[in-house]
Amino acid sequence: MDTTVYVPVDGTRAVRARDLTKTYGSGEAAVHALAGVDVDFAAGEFTAIMGPSGSGKSTLMHLLAGLDTATSGQAFVGTTDVTALNDSALTKLRRDRVGFVFQQFNLLPMFTAEQNITLPVELAGGTVDRQWFGTLVETLGLTERLTHRPAEMSGGQQQRVAIARALIAQPDVVFADEPTGNLDSRSGAEVLSFLRRSVRELGRTIIMVTHDPAAAAYADRVVLLADGRIAGDISDPTPESALAGLDALRTLEPNVSTGTTPVVPGAGAR
Amino acid sequence: MTTTTTAPSTGAAGTAPAGAAAVPPKRNNLPTARYTMAQMRRSAGRLTAAGIAILIGTAFVAVTLLAGNVITRTTYDTIAARFADADVLVTTSGSDWRQDVEAVRGTDGVTAAEPVRSAYLNLGDGSAYAYAEGIARPQDDRLMPLELTSGKWPSERGEIAVPDGIAERLGVGVGDEIDIYRWVQTDAETGDGEEVAEPVRVVGVTEDPYDAYAVSGGAVVATAADIEEWGEEPVPGEAFEIAAVLAPSALSGDEPTQAVRDALAAAVVSDGEHAAQTVDERAREISAERTGGEDLVFLVFVLTFAAVALLVAGLVIANTFQVLVAQRTRTLALLRCIGAGRGQLYRSVLLEAAVLGVLASLGGVVVGVLLAQTALFVAPQFDIGVPLPATVTITPQVVLIPLAVGTFVTLVAALAPARNATRVAPLAALRPAETLSVRKGAGRARAVFSALATIGGFALVALGVFLGMNDAVQFGLAATVLGGAISLVGIIIGTVFWLPKVAALLGAIVARTGPASRLAAANTLRNPRRTSATATALLIGVTLIMTMTTGAAAARQTADSTLDETFPVDIMVMSGSGSVPPSAVDTIAGVDAVADVAELYSADAELPDGEYLYLQGADVEDLRATVNDAPALDGLEPGTVLLTEGQMEELDVAEGDTLDVTGTGEAVPLTVVRTDSVGLTGFVGLGDLRQIDPDAMFSQVWASLVPDVDAADALADVQQAMSDDGVMVTGPAAQRAQFEQVINVMLGIVVGLLAVAVVIAVIGVANTLSLSVIERRRESATLRAIGLGKSQLRGMLAVEGMLIAGVGAVLGIVLGLVYGWTGALTALSIMGGVSLTVPWLDLGVVLVVAIIAGLVASVAPARSALKASPVEALGAE
Repeated sequence: MDTTVYVPVDGTRAVRARDLTKTYGSGEAAVHALAGVDVDFAAGEFTAIMGPSGSGKSTLMHLLAGLDTATSGQAFVGTTDVTALNDSALTKLRRDRVGFVFQQFNLLPMFTAEQNITLPVELAGGTVDRQWFGTLVETLGLTERLTHRPAEMSGGQQQRVAIARALIAQPDVVFADEPTGNLDSRSGAEVLSFLRRSVRELGRTIIMVTHDPAAAAYADRVVLLADGRIAGDISDPTPESALAGLDALRTLEPNVSTGTTPVVPGAGAR
Repeated sequence: MTTTTTAPSTGAAGTAPAGAAAVPPKRNNLPTARYTMAQMRRSAGRLTAAGIAILIGTAFVAVTLLAGNVITRTTYDTIAARFADADVLVTTSGSDWRQDVEAVRGTDGVTAAEPVRSAYLNLGDGSAYAYAEGIARPQDDRLMPLELTSGKWPSERGEIAVPDGIAERLGVGVGDEIDIYRWVQTDAETGDGEEVAEPVRVVGVTEDPYDAYAVSGGAVVATAADIEEWGEEPVPGEAFEIAAVLAPSALSGDEPTQAVRDALAAAVVSDGEHAAQTVDERAREISAERTGGEDLVFLVFVLTFAAVALLVAGLVIANTFQVLVAQRTRTLALLRCIGAGRGQLYRSVLLEAAVLGVLASLGGVVVGVLLAQTALFVAPQFDIGVPLPATVTITPQVVLIPLAVGTFVTLVAALAPARNATRVAPLAALRPAETLSVRKGAGRARAVFSALATIGGFALVALGVFLGMNDAVQFGLAATVLGGAISLVGIIIGTVFWLPKVAALLGAIVARTGPASRLAAANTLRNPRRTSATATALLIGVTLIMTMTTGAAAARQTADSTLDETFPVDIMVMSGSGSVPPSAVDTIAGVDAVADVAELYSADAELPDGEYLYLQGADVEDLRATVNDAPALDGLEPGTVLLTEGQMEELDVAEGDTLDVTGTGEAVPLTVVRTDSVGLTGFVGLGDLRQIDPDAMFSQVWASLVPDVDAADALADVQQAMSDDGVMVTGPAAQRAQFEQVINVMLGIVVGLLAVAVVIAVIGVANTLSLSVIERRRESATLRAIGLGKSQLRGMLAVEGMLIAGVGAVLGIVLGLVYGWTGALTALSIMGGVSLTVPWLDLGVVLVVAIIAGLVASVAPARSALKASPVEALGAE
């Protein structure tokens, strides 16, 4: 397998956030989901975003992927400021440069695995790179499943099809939102190792949102989020270190909210 | 959701949880009702389209009933107006009507009495003519419904008063003389007679303020003596009326007293039944008699189309509830888990349908009344010649019938979805949302019934065609119509089995055009039942419209060929009174569009057995040059006569026989030659005709047209050239135009009525798409997240809409062609060879309209689909 082609130059920033803020509501009822986040995600790396419920991790991902509009600040995919794009430019961005893996798999029930995988390329009006398709299918162990429809596959298999779909257009970055949330632990482990292989062997960049320390341990790096702010960073995490980081966050939580967020007095109340 | 699920739990309180679901909880309808109302509020938007479908259907019924009322009321008013200020009407058998009239006049309390008599008159001045009803001037003006605008009432024989409309048309005024044409019998034995023109003087002009004679074009007033002479004796068996004005002493309020009624009844001399009634009673009785047939036929005819519209609306409703139940599967399962019984869920769906049905039907009645009132408001601006009431009459039937029918249709349509709701297993609440679905597939009984109805129906159609082609048109038509209806029912019931396959085929073609189309095609096939039901709703309307247009096209074609046989030439000029002025030939030949002319002479001749034969003669060479089918004249030479097979049978002769024909001249033996052209029967050579009758009348001029000129224009040119001569110019072109107009008007009415069903079906397509969009919210969001553009999403739904509509239209067109052709074969074979044509233009229009409708139907659903943000794809629920 020729993997060298896909390894980007080390140290490149695939995705960046600069003072990214998202506020729901206004005045007294304002809720700050993200309160000025600065974070960089390296290309060719598998990063997990972790945090307790309501920490803003999903909001961060939505803003980075251009699925939602920021209240202020900027989010970059490569050198493109996604917060400045209009709908059609965002559609194009999602087609060519960003891939998604969902918790609910979200495969189209009436299409076979192969049709589901190639759909993004077809929507973009392009032709499928058969060699890349073959590589993906083989890496993800889907060779035998290509003619099956979603209803005929297990959850793990469906999620692998979804990963292949996210990677088919060779995007700059793949966002995965709790990809193992709907899977049993064995299938979950399988999917996570496939995600890691996609990064290590195929040179992809993956940003995964999870609340599961065991899942986060598959990543190269864990970014911890609490109350809409970056609360920690763990390199080469293990399940134990990730859990410890999360626990620390929980015990620290009152301190963090009272100590470091004077501008957001209500944030800790959630 | 939280509010809706808590409601039933109160009713099920105390029962065990999931396991006890099979045990019906307390019979308490209140929580079900509360749950239903909450559910309806949540689904208000989704129910609206279905409601509109029912609303249109019931509005249709309401308008029809209102129109029926208007017809009845107009008839009643007209009849009542004719009796003017009469207080009582004595109805007798008329056997001794003169004595009856005298007896009534002599009855105590009667101040004036007049027989209601009329005569049909043909008035004219030699160039313009008018037909009108003639009525006698009553002795007492209170019995005269008309009013004078100028002049005086006729008081002597030979004087008349004409309605202002006729005065204007004939260009006459007070003091002018015109003729009354009457057919007078000259020989009571043979029934022979002649038309005589009797001069009369116009002494007055009248108006008809109460529209008593508006329907028949106004009434001419003459003296009683003239009307008696011009009219006919009362027909035995038909009621003879005597209108009478009573003295105040004989009236109690507006009613005649019982004493005067008895006295009048006793005074009648005529035998048979008699009665003394008020004008109101009598008008009611006559209008019931007169419109009993008419407005019933009208109502049945229009209500048939209303029924089709309601059937289609029913399909839309059934579809909507099916989808709603499917969408609520999880909620329904949850309700079952917490103790809701099957019956409660069933009643809940039916209650929802009932509420929807009642609300939509009430809306339909209101819309119907408004439409009818608007029509009455607008109608007087067009001169339709019929007096109309100013406002609609809202009877209980107008409100109750549409309300009942609309609610009933909605309830029946919701039965199957309601049953489906009861089939939801409590376990479904625990399953992931994606795999939920209501029972799919169709029963075997349905397949068998559908197949039997389809095959049996078409067999009956085939029998009908066979009968029709063998001259048993009435039985044939009955069989074809019945068979057609049965097979259509079979096909509609069976659509779920085969319609998806057709959709798949069309989808496969469409899918080649791009990924959005491929998605659309796949989506269309996801739920075959829903696609079938939606397309079927459209199929019904399209099939019926196409049947009508195909039948009309066949009728046109067949009529064309029949007209060609009946009219051997392009243009015929004849006189109403007998002979054509000799100058006509040159005048006609002088018209640019005319190529050749032939002079025709005619004579009545007698055959040896006493039969008469109408003979026409012309110069054979001239004739050959003018007729369309010259070879048809091949046998016509001196000493022969052309006869059709029908006429040969009538005269009891065979081809080749010799007929001795006698006219005013000498007897001539003529050999019978067969012709197929009805227009050429009785033709002989001019020489023979002159021998038979030296004074044969110059009766017609035949003309052929220069090739490629427009026949209708040429006809108009000839009419123009001959306008001063009082002749009649006809030709197949004119006949064709008339026939065409009749067909087009009928077709227009029928298609217009059916269009309502199509509109409802299109609403159904939009509804199905909307519901699918709601169902596929997460999927749309996913597609958007992986790169589906807004326009692609819009395009996808447009293709889905067009695909569903297209399938319905294509199948409807095919079925319509089959039904139209079989119908035409059955009904028209008796007229000769039926040409089965494909009305390509109509077909194209139907297809394009259906596809555009599908496109339009996708607009609103696409707007709602676009509201789904890609973020929703990421959400857990």
